[in-house]
Amino acid sequence: MTRPAEPAPSVSRRLLGLLLLPLALLLGIGVFFDYVSGSAAIRAAYDRALHEMALAVAAHLRDADADGHIDADLPPQAVAVLRADSVDSIYFAVRAADGHLVSGDEELAPPAAGARSEFGDGSLHGQPIRFVRHAAVIGGRTPVTIMIGETTRKRSAAIRRIITSVVLTDIVQLAGTLLLVWLGVRYGVRPLRALGEQIAQRSARDLAPLDRAQVPAEVRPLVHTLNALFETVRDSARAQQQFLADAAHQLRTPLTGIIAQLDLLARESGSNGLAPRLLALHESTRRLAHTANQLLALARSERSATTHDDFAQVDLEALATDAVAQYLDRSLLAHIDLGAEASPARTLGSLWLLRELLGNLVDNALAYTPAGGRVTVRSGTEGALAFLEVEDDGPGIPADQRMQVRERFRRLPGSPGNGCGLGLAIVDEIAHAHDARFVITEGADGRGTRARIDFRAA
Amino acid sequence: MRVLVVEDDALVADAIRRGLGEAGYAVDHVDSAERAGTALGAESFDLAVVDIGLPGADGLALLQRMRRSGTAVPVLILTARDALADRVNALDLGADDYLVKPFALPELVARSRALIRRSRSAASAELVIGTLRLDLAARRAEVDGGAVSLTRREWAVLECLALNIGRVVAKDRLLQAIANWDEDIGANAIEVYVSRLRTKLGGAAPIRTVRGLGYRLDDTPG
Repeated sequence: MTRPAEPAPSVSRRLLGLLLLPLALLLGIGVFFDYVSGSAAIRAAYDRALHEMALAVAAHLRDADADGHIDADLPPQAVAVLRADSVDSIYFAVRAADGHLVSGDEELAPPAAGARSEFGDGSLHGQPIRFVRHAAVIGGRTPVTIMIGETTRKRSAAIRRIITSVVLTDIVQLAGTLLLVWLGVRYGVRPLRALGEQIAQRSARDLAPLDRAQVPAEVRPLVHTLNALFETVRDSARAQQQFLADAAHQLRTPLTGIIAQLDLLARESGSNGLAPRLLALHESTRRLAHTANQLLALARSERSATTHDDFAQVDLEALATDAVAQYLDRSLLAHIDLGAEASPARTLGSLWLLRELLGNLVDNALAYTPAGGRVTVRSGTEGALAFLEVEDDGPGIPADQRMQVRERFRRLPGSPGNGCGLGLAIVDEIAHAHDARFVITEGADGRGTRARIDFRAA
Repeated sequence: MRVLVVEDDALVADAIRRGLGEAGYAVDHVDSAERAGTALGAESFDLAVVDIGLPGADGLALLQRMRRSGTAVPVLILTARDALADRVNALDLGADDYLVKPFALPELVARSRALIRRSRSAASAELVIGTLRLDLAARRAEVDGGAVSLTRREWAVLECLALNIGRVVAKDRLLQAIANWDEDIGANAIEVYVSRLRTKLGGAAPIRTVRGLGYRLDDTPG
């Protein structure tokens, strides 16, 4: 069976492509939203803690006098507690309404005034900080602004941790889903694969209907159509065989009569001058009959006319010995030593066609081998192959013509005998019909011709 | 000796009748299976040459009817269809040999002679091949009327070849034929017996070696 050179579109690849890409995208989006919502929650928690610090500082503040001087009653212990953090640096600043620093770190600059309480990002000493600005009114009349700033190491680490765990979980989930999809698709297309294999394993000559039992509904129409096609081809091959059988009968019967009558006439006309003409006529008619036979054999062995209807186990050893027995008289007349070296070998094939094949090879070898030569018919097995072989020690076929001689009506220039040039074409067709390999090489010691057909052993 | 030819093509039938007639046989010709049935019922024949492609009931049907009714007349089938089914069917149904058209007339005569000789030897326990005469019951061979003394094994080989005259007999089969006489026979024993037979029989019974297969006792007119 010939296969297309480029990879065919695959259903499972298509299904996987259609499912995996959107799934991966969906899961990616999920990871993104998990990241966004997870980090927002962490940021809110840290912001709340920052805001509580601001409220704690505010609780320590009193307005000292009526001029609005603020007494920052922040004992060193309280400041120490406020600043105590092993990871982040914490800054604070309490400023009066006019902006001057009441207590804390001068470098924590006030942002533009705004809402009562707001968070913001900034940087201090080259480090990113998160700050809260809290506006408070001390003693009911003195407005102050409290700012708490904190470097972002802790919250970054927390966000990293949570993101890592969320993304890892999501990735595992993604991988799991993809694996399930892949397995599902593989399992799902198994009936299709089975059908493909069923078709691939068949010989191209096999026209038996495909088994529809295991075929999924989606491809049932395809199988149905294929089976219908097989039947059409089989019917037309059978019709062709029937036609050829009828044609054979119609051609051969009158030829038989003519040849036999010419044979008798030539003998009866012994003394008068008609005998040579009658013999020539007899010989021509015999040649015509041979050509008709070969044409019929070629037509019957043609690919379009062969079905596997009559394929069965064929004993190649018996075929080889039968061929020697059948052609023995002709080899004796031609003074050629015809013999067999037959070992057991079997293949699946059409007995009639294989007999025709071997007959043509032996016929050819006898025609081209001079008197005193030797023709050997062999059968045997080699590994998984069963072979038929005919070797002669005649003039041989030049290496560059070994393909051409299989063409129809092709004869080597200067060939003896009265062949019609169809013998090897018939062998080639029959070998094809059996998915067998037909090879022509030189014989032993580089002399003569060795024609060999390799079949699958059965 | 009488031959019935069942063939609907007039030209072929005429040629067969003349050919067999030249060879010394009395030939009756009919052109259908029905008439052949009548003829076989009325007369006795030594051979029937039957074409498969007859109008009406075909040759295979006739053959089947003959074998079912117990007729032992040897049958040579003629066919223009080389389909395997024809050949196998014919031999399964009890045909003794077949020829595919177009055949050469001498070949038909030779096959007819072989079939008749084989069936007569089975009936009379005597086989005549040219100047060689075999008495199958007494296990005696004569050449030109003179007795030839053969050992039991030589006789067994000759008998096996003679009963299959014109056919290649495999070495294994000859070994089996003499195995009854002796238990331990070398593989080349047959070659020894054949060579002795050739010496003793001379040209009366040409035994041909078929390389890689066995031997064939060549048929000669007679």
